[in-house]
Amino acid sequence: MSTATATRADTTERKGPLRYSRQEMMAIAAGREIKDGELAIFGVGLSLLAGFFAQEHHAPNVRSMTEGGIYGATPIGGLPWGIECNRLSANATSFTGGLDALGFLVASGRVDVGLIGAAQVDKFGNVNTTGIWDRSKGNGLGETYTPPKTRLTGAGGANDIACGAKRTVIMVTHEPKRFVDEVDYISSPGYLEGGDARERYGFVGGGPAAIVTTLGILRPHPETKEFWLDAYYPFSSVDEVRANTGWDLKVFRHARMIAPPTVAEVEALRRVDVTGMLRREK
Amino acid sequence: MSSNKLLTLAEAAQRYAGDGIQYASGAGLPVGADAIAFGRELVRQGRRNLHALFHCNTQQLNLLAAAGTVDKAEVGFSGLEGFGFANGLRRVVEEGKLALEDYSNLAMALRFLGGALNWPFVPATTCIGSDIQHRSAFAPEQYPAIGKIPEISDPFSGRTLGAYSPLKPDLAVIHVTLADPEGNAIMIGSEWSRFELSRAAKRVVLVADHIVDTDCMRQYPNLVRIPGLIVDAVVWWPFSAWPAASPGVHDVDEAHMKLMNEWLATEEGTFRYIDRYIFSYQTVDAYLNLIGQDVISRLEDSPTRFLLDPYRQWILDRAKVEQLQAENHILKRAA
Repeated sequence: MSTATATRADTTERKGPLRYSRQEMMAIAAGREIKDGELAIFGVGLSLLAGFFAQEHHAPNVRSMTEGGIYGATPIGGLPWGIECNRLSANATSFTGGLDALGFLVASGRVDVGLIGAAQVDKFGNVNTTGIWDRSKGNGLGETYTPPKTRLTGAGGANDIACGAKRTVIMVTHEPKRFVDEVDYISSPGYLEGGDARERYGFVGGGPAAIVTTLGILRPHPETKEFWLDAYYPFSSVDEVRANTGWDLKVFRHARMIAPPTVAEVEALRRVDVTGMLRREK
Repeated sequence: MSSNKLLTLAEAAQRYAGDGIQYASGAGLPVGADAIAFGRELVRQGRRNLHALFHCNTQQLNLLAAAGTVDKAEVGFSGLEGFGFANGLRRVVEEGKLALEDYSNLAMALRFLGGALNWPFVPATTCIGSDIQHRSAFAPEQYPAIGKIPEISDPFSGRTLGAYSPLKPDLAVIHVTLADPEGNAIMIGSEWSRFELSRAAKRVVLVADHIVDTDCMRQYPNLVRIPGLIVDAVVWWPFSAWPAASPGVHDVDEAHMKLMNEWLATEEGTFRYIDRYIFSYQTVDAYLNLIGQDVISRLEDSPTRFLLDPYRQWILDRAKVEQLQAENHILKRAA
């Protein structure tokens, strides 16, 4: 992974360019989507880091929870191995369970924002985390169900969050194989076929508000719900984002380069990412 | 002691887990507590054709799948969280040897709840509209699947919903932190769906890190989420969750989580794993030696250790637990 370089606007504390990785930019951009005081649910991995970065940096009163029913906890000793890991359980204020977290709090419509990941995402924000099928064999898609060529992790709680959270933020590495016209399997619904398709099912949650990637931020068109490019990073460009997207990505007229991370943001992120997960070469 | 339900691990597996049953694990999530030692025992005893119900996959299902013990499974999540994909499970799924039926994590909890309440179905407001509803590994010829999460209409609003089928497993083997000899139990950490599952299953076996005196339960009755009156047997097996964690007792063994998942990725590796980490022990002592005393000391030095402090005074020592196991004539006669 190349380490991006950006010049910091505020130079009062430190001279020279601030270095950060693309993964760190993605985590910071996703964290910026979380507002102080919100009830927020974080998934395992990157989304935990982005969520707890927000808490550390600009949302100290975020009410964080995981689908395991671990409430009021802040990770210690690095990225937790799971959302119920002892690195989180060590300072929780409440332990409940899945029915409480994903049912009473998410399916009820109380949760403001959920952060989820994706192996594949399509132009309507539908997420696949279940499997990759060999399309040349006509497998998987329609008709007879066959085993996937590559089995992934399944939906977990992400389907429930995608149905129930007021809004979701999808975090995903920006590569053509991940940004596809149609996902192999809808594990967690975005806007389904677009437009008002979600209304057919009466989901209490509003759907994905953003797809935050290693190259930029995509947001849904207000009517068609197709994801368009909303912002790119100091180290990326419209052309690079489009080249790494498997559909003909449209660009909002207001699309712009977003602010690079501040020193305070990078420092806050690294206090959470103690073990440097986001700085590793992939 | 009004009712002593203590059994050894081998006796409990023999008595309650037959071939072909619907077998549910009561666990935390993949990294959290699961009675993985019970799964090792099922492999040792050569169980076949199990229909596994795992709210989330754990290293237990990863092992059972890799070893050919399970041919059908239903899960909400099939990975190992930070430890990646479950290589043993994914291998047999990709080879078509195990039919893996996907649900979501809320769906699995609700299906156990539906079983516990004896409901005919549970209304589904999630999983609908996605391929979890449309595709079924258990009914591969049907697309879209109509029997997995059938469409129903809300009798009040007319809105289209789904219906989850309830689950009533033949056996639930549930990991708990503390149990008394009657089967009253306290779990530390995420309960996940162990409360609902304990009420949904036809038989319940607890696997506890520690056996405590019943006075402990009388001190904290609000925390006893699984009462003895629905429990069939209690097994004491220290580090039964290893290599996963048991909050309050020990951390996850990162190195062994990785080794186990790496070995289960191939058939040869699975044979090697079974030979080295199942057939190599019979007793608790041999099991603990296999983990290694240095590893045990390190894992016990957990930042969650303080969570066990309020209960320590009631923990029965090993001699007492083994005496109770030996005294359990009632269960032995019935068996």
